[in-house]
Amino acid sequence: MSWRRFFRRSQKDDDRAAEIQAHVDLASEHYVEQGMTRAQAQREARLRFGNPRAYREGVDDLNRLPFFDALQLDLRYAVRALRRTPVFTLTVTATLALVIGANTAVFTIADQVLLRPLPFPQPDRLAVVATHTQSAASSGEGTSISGAMWNAIRDNVTAANGATFSGGAGGVNFNADGRAAFVQQQRVGAGYFHVLGLSPAIGREFTRDEDRDEGPNVAILSDGLWRSAFSADPSVLGRAITLRGESYQIIGVMPPGIRSFDNDDVDLWTPLRTSTRGEGANDNYGAIVRLADGATWPQLAAQLRAASTPEALATFGPPDGKVERWMVALPMQAALTAGARQPIMILGATVAAVLLIACVNIASLCLARASARRKELATRMALGSGRRAVIRQLMVESLLLAAIGGAAGLALGAVALDALKYLGGDAFVEWRYVAIDGRTILVMAGLAAFTSVLFGLAPAWQASRIDVQRGLAAGGSRSVAGGAGHWVRRALVVVQVALGVVLLVGAGLLIRTFVALDSLNPGFDPNGLTTASVSLQDARYESGETISQLFERSVSALEQTPGVTAAAVTLELPYTRLLNLGVTLTDEAAPPQGRMANMSYVTAGFVRTFGMKLVAGRELTAADRAGAAPVVLVNESFARIYSPDRDVVGRRIRVSGAEREIVGVVGDVQQKPSFFAAGMVRGPIMRQPGVFAPASQLPDSLFKLVHTWFRPVWSVRASGPDVSSAIRNAIASVDPALPVADVRTMAQVRGEALGVQRLLMTLVGVVAIAALLLAAMGLYGLISGAVTERTREFGLRLALGATPGGVIRTVAGSGVALAAVGAAIGGGLSIVAVRLIASLLWGVEPSDPGTYLAVTTFFLVVATLSSLLPALRLLRLDPARTLRD
Amino acid sequence: MRRRPNGQDGDLLGGTLDMLVLRTLQTVSLHGFAIAQHIAKRSDEVLLVEEGSLYPALHRLEERGWISAEWGITENNRKARFYKLTPVGRKQLTAESHRWSELVAAVARVMEPSS
Repeated sequence: MSWRRFFRRSQKDDDRAAEIQAHVDLASEHYVEQGMTRAQAQREARLRFGNPRAYREGVDDLNRLPFFDALQLDLRYAVRALRRTPVFTLTVTATLALVIGANTAVFTIADQVLLRPLPFPQPDRLAVVATHTQSAASSGEGTSISGAMWNAIRDNVTAANGATFSGGAGGVNFNADGRAAFVQQQRVGAGYFHVLGLSPAIGREFTRDEDRDEGPNVAILSDGLWRSAFSADPSVLGRAITLRGESYQIIGVMPPGIRSFDNDDVDLWTPLRTSTRGEGANDNYGAIVRLADGATWPQLAAQLRAASTPEALATFGPPDGKVERWMVALPMQAALTAGARQPIMILGATVAAVLLIACVNIASLCLARASARRKELATRMALGSGRRAVIRQLMVESLLLAAIGGAAGLALGAVALDALKYLGGDAFVEWRYVAIDGRTILVMAGLAAFTSVLFGLAPAWQASRIDVQRGLAAGGSRSVAGGAGHWVRRALVVVQVALGVVLLVGAGLLIRTFVALDSLNPGFDPNGLTTASVSLQDARYESGETISQLFERSVSALEQTPGVTAAAVTLELPYTRLLNLGVTLTDEAAPPQGRMANMSYVTAGFVRTFGMKLVAGRELTAADRAGAAPVVLVNESFARIYSPDRDVVGRRIRVSGAEREIVGVVGDVQQKPSFFAAGMVRGPIMRQPGVFAPASQLPDSLFKLVHTWFRPVWSVRASGPDVSSAIRNAIASVDPALPVADVRTMAQVRGEALGVQRLLMTLVGVVAIAALLLAAMGLYGLISGAVTERTREFGLRLALGATPGGVIRTVAGSGVALAAVGAAIGGGLSIVAVRLIASLLWGVEPSDPGTYLAVTTFFLVVATLSSLLPALRLLRLDPARTLRD
Repeated sequence: MRRRPNGQDGDLLGGTLDMLVLRTLQTVSLHGFAIAQHIAKRSDEVLLVEEGSLYPALHRLEERGWISAEWGITENNRKARFYKLTPVGRKQLTAESHRWSELVAAVARVMEPSS
């Protein structure tokens, strides 16, 4: 007996029928030849064959699988039963589809970002070196190190092999064999690939001798670039390519699929040139280590701590006794996903909560449906259907719902994942390469099946206990409906309301955070500003003079464009992360160590272009050029924090190796945090001490250093609609070979700065509203069911003189009471649950009473409405008719 | 699953109809009616195969892979299902023939007057 035969039964049966017909025809022909009339012959042939149906059934019996036949019947019956109640079916499948969709999207991200092992051999022996900072009040880890720290690791740590690297990839101009391209370059130290457990497909990786200051220009190609630029030529080693105008020699080709830890695509690697000078003087490197064979994590930790001498950690300033610092090794996967972990956990908790609410809703709907079907089920059992058959029937219905809802949910999940990646892709680069895979589909199918079994089981269990006689009698009962079994639905409603309140409190706190951040004074006028950036990591732009010329000539070209009212070039923008430099006020007898400021170079018109406020002193002018007295502007935070007692204008500061006079103070603008000092207000965006120096007065070495991390930004204030082409033209008129990137309006820059907050607020908000609706539906269903069931009783009461208002109060009141219990429990749960998001809140306390009160009130209003609406049906009740029917 | 034990039914002695069908199909491929006709003719109208036994037997043999069937046209231009022996069926026929000879010999020995 095979499956093939089982499924091909009906085709076989047709064959048999045709064969029987052929036989009868042949036989009657034969009888005609023997002398019968045609009619006699046919009759004779049929008679002799007997009952053809009996024969066909006999054959068919051989090909049966009784269990599956019963299942097929159950399935057919389930489809009919579900089609009879379209509202129920649609509600359940739509609810299931929505929550499975949301869970699919979030699970895919969580699974692939947080749970999937790194694509390296023995990833559990890999770690990232971090600096642990311990003070009385707080502790934390930063994963960047300086050249001196690296030397200390290299010379003292034997429990692990290590290598340096520089964060993500950056775009550079690439030329080879007359082909030009803009490629993504990452800089890595000697042994980087070896530590990861990767080896080049061709050639070798960088040696210590290449990974040093002034080392040779060598490069390793990615598989992709090797194929596109060199047609996968195996003899590519030793060939020359041009990067940023300099010649590099190819020494290796990596296998495909290697990305930076920031998940950027990388086209080629060049040596980091690890040293203790230049960028190596501060903590600008990353370091990875692989635990040596036989070594243990505690050994490594001890060696790292021993290597953390004051000399090694000099970049953080001399020890002051209050703060202790030492190096630690963080497990690589956790370290790489640290930033993404919390938002994903929050989203995961949110969608899990809504899944729970949805399950409760569906279970409640199924319960209601089962009690409405008591009579039908009792009839079936009275007619001889076994208890198991009834349960199986109900389970098949649940599974069918799960299958439809699950399939629709997966489709919805694909859409939701795209939406999440679109919304969160900028804030969380890790999300970018995530896609729904077999693992997700399997887990979600399991989830749908599990929930369906869960919410199908309760009604099935209840149904199996039906007392046939009572069931049949109660269906036509004239008595007051018994409340038995309703406590389950009541409890479910309480659970729903409680979870809904928790989600809504979370959403409320996130909304208040966003509003608080969004309403911060930006400190400049973002309207009508357009910005664009250009990479100057180019051999032709190594001197301050050429750079200043580029800035001045392009800005003056822009200022002559109709509609443009002002233009300037700055190193970075408001709302972004800035360059930090140590600064010292020269007139202080004992200047405090470790005084930091944001540092940006600017062109003369930047205050006017951004619409910033000039608080004191003067603006920078075209006269503040190379050769003139070195000057800077500082901002209000700088003046307030570093010069609280004296007028800061006229004081002199030492920044970037030169002494400069402070000639003016401008208003603060909001920036991404890059450091923290006493007197500053922490936040996702915040005001920080800033120093603005004319680009024309800065040394070549500073340009070379900062242009490896930052791209200068052209900002244009214009009344016209679109100035992006004007910016391109102005820059091209000075140097047509410079590619202009990232043309954005200031509004977009501002939007991205609060991207994480907006994303979380939106997602948690949407899910919380969904939870609210689900809870409202649950209440409505409960009260509506009670009204239907007790119509006769209420009719009786009204006939006996009860007022409609009193009856409605009784019915709706029970719903409101349940909601109140749920809201109280939810409020209590929230106090615990908001700890998950406490660190993301800003400008609002996690226990903010206003939010709790507003949410609870809102929920109770919705609950009252959902209870009142079905109860109002009682107003239309005609007592006389109810009693008669 | 309901499966009949080794298909020993029909009016003939257990398994004999199967053997007769296989033997009939040894050299030619025939449709059901012709198989019944052939057996009747060869047995001088002694063995009359009933349709009610013949078709289940054909079905059984086909399921076992001893014969195969396909639709064809009779000499009178009628559509009919033609059966023919498969290689497995050929081996089975040899085995059945042996068994049959032994059975006939054994029955003969029993029936002969004892000496």
